[in-house]
Amino acid sequence: MKPMTGPISAAAETQVKVPTRRAVAKQQTRQRVLAAARRLFSEQGYEGATIRDIASAAGMSTGAVFANFSDKADLFREIMIVDMGRLGERMREAAEPGGDPEEVLVRIFTAGYAFYQGQLPLARAAFSVGWSPDEGKVLRTEPATQVLRDIIKGALVDGVARGELIDDPQIELRGRMLYDCYLSNYIAAVFGGSTLEALHDKAREQIRILLASARRS
Amino acid sequence: MNVFPAAVLDAVSWVGERALSTRRHQKEATRSRVLDAARDLFDSVGYDETTVRAIARRAGVSVGSVFTTFAAKAEILSHVMQERLEDLYAELDRVAPNLRGSTADRLRSIFAIHYSFEARHTRLFLAHIAAAFDWSLHAAARPYGRTPRLREILRDCLADGRERGDVHPDVDLEQVIDLLMAAYAWTYRLAAWEKCDSGTMSAVMDQQIGLIAHGFAGPSPGRG
Repeated sequence: MKPMTGPISAAAETQVKVPTRRAVAKQQTRQRVLAAARRLFSEQGYEGATIRDIASAAGMSTGAVFANFSDKADLFREIMIVDMGRLGERMREAAEPGGDPEEVLVRIFTAGYAFYQGQLPLARAAFSVGWSPDEGKVLRTEPATQVLRDIIKGALVDGVARGELIDDPQIELRGRMLYDCYLSNYIAAVFGGSTLEALHDKAREQIRILLASARRS
Repeated sequence: MNVFPAAVLDAVSWVGERALSTRRHQKEATRSRVLDAARDLFDSVGYDETTVRAIARRAGVSVGSVFTTFAAKAEILSHVMQERLEDLYAELDRVAPNLRGSTADRLRSIFAIHYSFEARHTRLFLAHIAAAFDWSLHAAARPYGRTPRLREILRDCLADGRERGDVHPDVDLEQVIDLLMAAYAWTYRLAAWEKCDSGTMSAVMDQQIGLIAHGFAGPSPGRG
């Protein structure tokens, strides 16, 4: 009699790699909800979009939405985390060629503004959530947000390594201020209709000001 | 054909006007009752936790009449903040001409006055900033960032510094103002999260102003 171990262990391995049909269906449901939510948050804002609307846009019951997401904040956070992941990749690519820290930071900021240019309403919704006293803190401490801050701080650390910036204890503060400066320019983009070029110029001047205290004189 | 004598018509229009002014008066009274109730609830319960229904109940008016005066809760907040900020700006107008020292120090004083005014309402201030991005916000509302008053005060202070040779002529003042506003707002976030007092808020802002001041003192030698 042939030993049966071979085919069985092969089947077991296959099972590990291929998700069950149920898992696939669940994943598809999540994706449908996320797509509908993304559209409604962009059209109606965070406050305006209800779970009920999102469920009906996704063609499912509110119960099915709640089976996948604990509440609206959870749903929105998931969208933000996905986007910030992609945004982080763009920013990292922009930072990669290196160079003078001012140049690197301008490229990082501009990559961010270019990323959100086609989806400013969603950015607007993100700010209304980001500034709310409780949910804002959750969003701000997400690892995905931390990645963006690290990319900016990385440009400062590189600048120190290249000898273009002094190594001073204010590097944390400077990095945080740069990140907040990056964010605050979305006000001009969302409400002032600033072009990418205008944002680029604005960011350059602001970055120059914030780096001045670290420049070797 | 007109069947009423002129005197009757006059009387009708007089009654009509009076009714109109009574209505206007009532509307004004409702408005201030709603704002008073909202201010109390926002302070004691919090902005997110306060419903329009609760505001109406406390003001002793119907939910419907709240909505004939204000489009949304965010708009009520923007009015509450506006009234409060008017007192603050009056204080700043008194103080500003007497400020002495470097531009950085004058800016520090301006923001310290803000924080001593607002430290007890940091969560509300965050809600105020968040509401600036709210969809339901009425076009006439003046949310955070669209109140030009603080920007004017900062612009005056910086322009003054430029005359005294404290602020470099090549520096774009609008960008300095944006950086100060971003730092100012961020400090509220810190305060709401860490529950710090106005002294700590001012200390954090002082550091940020110091860093920005290096930038407006002159173009950097790095890139020039």
